[in-house]
Amino acid sequence: MEITQLQLDALREIGNVGSGHAATALSTLLQRRIDMSVPEVWAVPFEQVTSIVGQLDTPQAVIYVKVEGEASGKAVFFFPVESAEIVVKALFGTNETMDLYNEMAQSALKEVGNILVSSFIMALTQFSGIPLQPSVPALAVDMIGATLDAIFLEEGVLEDTVLFIDTQLTGIPKIEGQFIFLPDDGSLKKLLGAMGV
Amino acid sequence: MNGVITVGMADFKTATAPDLLLTAGLGSCIGICIHDPFLKVGGMAHIMLPTANGSLGGNPAKYADTALVLLLKEISGMGALKSRLKAKMAGGAQMFSFPGKPPVLKIGDRNAEAVEQELKRHGIPLLVADVGGNFGRTIHFDVGTGELRIRTINHGEKVV
Repeated sequence: MEITQLQLDALREIGNVGSGHAATALSTLLQRRIDMSVPEVWAVPFEQVTSIVGQLDTPQAVIYVKVEGEASGKAVFFFPVESAEIVVKALFGTNETMDLYNEMAQSALKEVGNILVSSFIMALTQFSGIPLQPSVPALAVDMIGATLDAIFLEEGVLEDTVLFIDTQLTGIPKIEGQFIFLPDDGSLKKLLGAMGV
Repeated sequence: MNGVITVGMADFKTATAPDLLLTAGLGSCIGICIHDPFLKVGGMAHIMLPTANGSLGGNPAKYADTALVLLLKEISGMGALKSRLKAKMAGGAQMFSFPGKPPVLKIGDRNAEAVEQELKRHGIPLLVADVGGNFGRTIHFDVGTGELRIRTINHGEKVV
């Protein structure tokens, strides 16, 4: 569907509020002040997402959550492995680099990812009034292209538009990540309609 | 120095030796590689779904059945003989699993099955199928030698 400037502004606001929630939750979890900013928001056809993420075989930590409710879809948060390593180190309060395939590191990443994804879902609900429930998270540390194609293609009819929110965390050095919401067919219209844009 | 031709998602390209074909970050998608070892020409398709009956519509290079037809047509146009063609494929992974919920629809497996069937239908021998698992693959295909280099993040690299 075509997205108007007004709708994009509304989506950007959701991105800002979602980032705010995410920063608060992460500050609590990591016991230090974290700020988040949203440099960019896109609503693009899903085939273009791969051009936004850059090199398709760059390894990233990808957290994937299914969203249920009246405006169902799939939500994804991903960050470069360097950022994931910093988050895991901060979480365990260690200076040693942890192997991201280690079980402890993976469950930590799932937890952090879950918090971040839920923050954006919460913002979507807040603005639209439509209750949405995220599933338990699944994690893959692998090539970004490979993980995204699997998410796009796995079950269900997707809307051709993907909401894409670029996020930057400051407070721990060099953390960046991206949030994607892939609405199921009809969900985006419902969300925007409920927001009156 | 060999040229490297990049094949995008839902895309296909052909090449002549010594050029290499590359597709990066295959998850549940499959890279189909075909070449004529005598003429040293070949092609690669990066398919996303088994057949065009799916819901996504549009681009025929997205589907195993229609992409293969496109690829074969173009390779034949370069002088390749169908009876000499050989195929290899990689991809078809299951990247995510949710605890306690077996995936209803393993799209990677379905893709691999579809490619295998379509190749059989066209009478092209499938020499290598490096499919499945839960990890992504980046592949380089040498249309001259038929060598397929498969790179992964955490599962090593190999030439098949």
